[in-house]
Amino acid sequence: MDPETSHFETEMNRGFLHILVLTMLEKDMYGYSMVRTIRDLGYEVEENTLYPLLRRLEKNGWVKSKWDVSEGRPRKFYGITDAGRSLRAELLGIWKKQDEILKYIMEEKSHV
Amino acid sequence: MFEKLEAYLEEISHFISGPEERKEILSEIRSHILEKAEQEFGAVTDVSLDQVITAYGPARRVAEKYLDGRPIIAPALKRFLFRYTALLFAFHFALTVAAVVFVKKSFIFFPILYVPSMGPFEALFYLPTAFLFDFGVVTLVLYLITHGKKEVKLPWPKLSVDLDEAKPSGRTIGRIIGLVVMTTLTGAALYLYARFGTIFLIKLGSGEYRPIFTPDAGQWYSLILIGLWALGTISLALKLVTSSPWIDAVKAGLSLVLLGLVFRQPADTALAGRPSDNFVFWLQLNLTIIVLIICILVAVDFVKALVRIGRRQLAK
Repeated sequence: MDPETSHFETEMNRGFLHILVLTMLEKDMYGYSMVRTIRDLGYEVEENTLYPLLRRLEKNGWVKSKWDVSEGRPRKFYGITDAGRSLRAELLGIWKKQDEILKYIMEEKSHV
Repeated sequence: MFEKLEAYLEEISHFISGPEERKEILSEIRSHILEKAEQEFGAVTDVSLDQVITAYGPARRVAEKYLDGRPIIAPALKRFLFRYTALLFAFHFALTVAAVVFVKKSFIFFPILYVPSMGPFEALFYLPTAFLFDFGVVTLVLYLITHGKKEVKLPWPKLSVDLDEAKPSGRTIGRIIGLVVMTTLTGAALYLYARFGTIFLIKLGSGEYRPIFTPDAGQWYSLILIGLWALGTISLALKLVTSSPWIDAVKAGLSLVLLGLVFRQPADTALAGRPSDNFVFWLQLNLTIIVLIICILVAVDFVKALVRIGRRQLAK
């Protein structure tokens, strides 16, 4: 992939990653397990991108976290909040709208 | 305790402010790295940690992702940084000239400016420090505005010579003519210097040439003038092949140093023969005024070149 495309991919991923994380956190998860789950789905996420993102989501009240020390090594578990669910619904709405616009334009073009 | 991991976290901690936040972030990263080393390499060892840390990325890059990309100065304020610094330095420069001309006069505008009384030579060393100070003061103000919560509308002072619209000075033909003139002038001066040990001569009625200054002073002033002309010649030659603003900056900087050296030679004993006290006073005063005026013009060029360099770096 050339650097220009890679740059656009990074830009697009930023929004997608927000929706993905907010969707995944319907069930409580810790950072490493999220990285593994996402990777198993065939999608790559940089670890050093995921943690700052989770932190920002938490700062804004869309995600909550708690440390779990029951298994020896401390793990920080994240879960979605009600505000996070509202945000996710809004983001999905935006995504759907964008998808419809693109489909409409592409269909129109194919008829010309 | 894994030394490599702790050293890595320590390095990241240097880039993150806020003790509570820093502690939390470092705990998150530590937990992740240990977990990954164990899950993907079977055990937490120095080797597995080394690989996980390398994959996690350089400390500074990792820390940057937590900083929300918040700049020290908002990108929109960067033009203000250069313009305000140029204006403050112009004011500072004018006061410095005043402090040199009106000897034993200091200027204090607490806590922004303190210009002590000084001689011309000291002023040349004082001005670069003043420039850095002005740059620092403006940076601090813009930093506070960037990180403040209030929306601040900053005035945009218009400069008589707008640096944004300043076109590259001179055209190629003009530069070639200038180069020829300067080369001739420098060559002629070098010839005179090689022959008489000075370039400051007067022709007597008998057709003989007599030096104006004493041998030491004549040599000193001649070398300074030849140096200034040679700088002009070299810069014109370089401008034919490159438009880098560094040429003007280096030329102006070196010229200021050479001009400052004029005052290292005491003017009252510089003249050859036995001049009257009045004439010596008149010469000293005029020499100081002329050199200071040239210094101001060169310093203006110097600041302009520095601002252009700054803007060019910013554009990059």
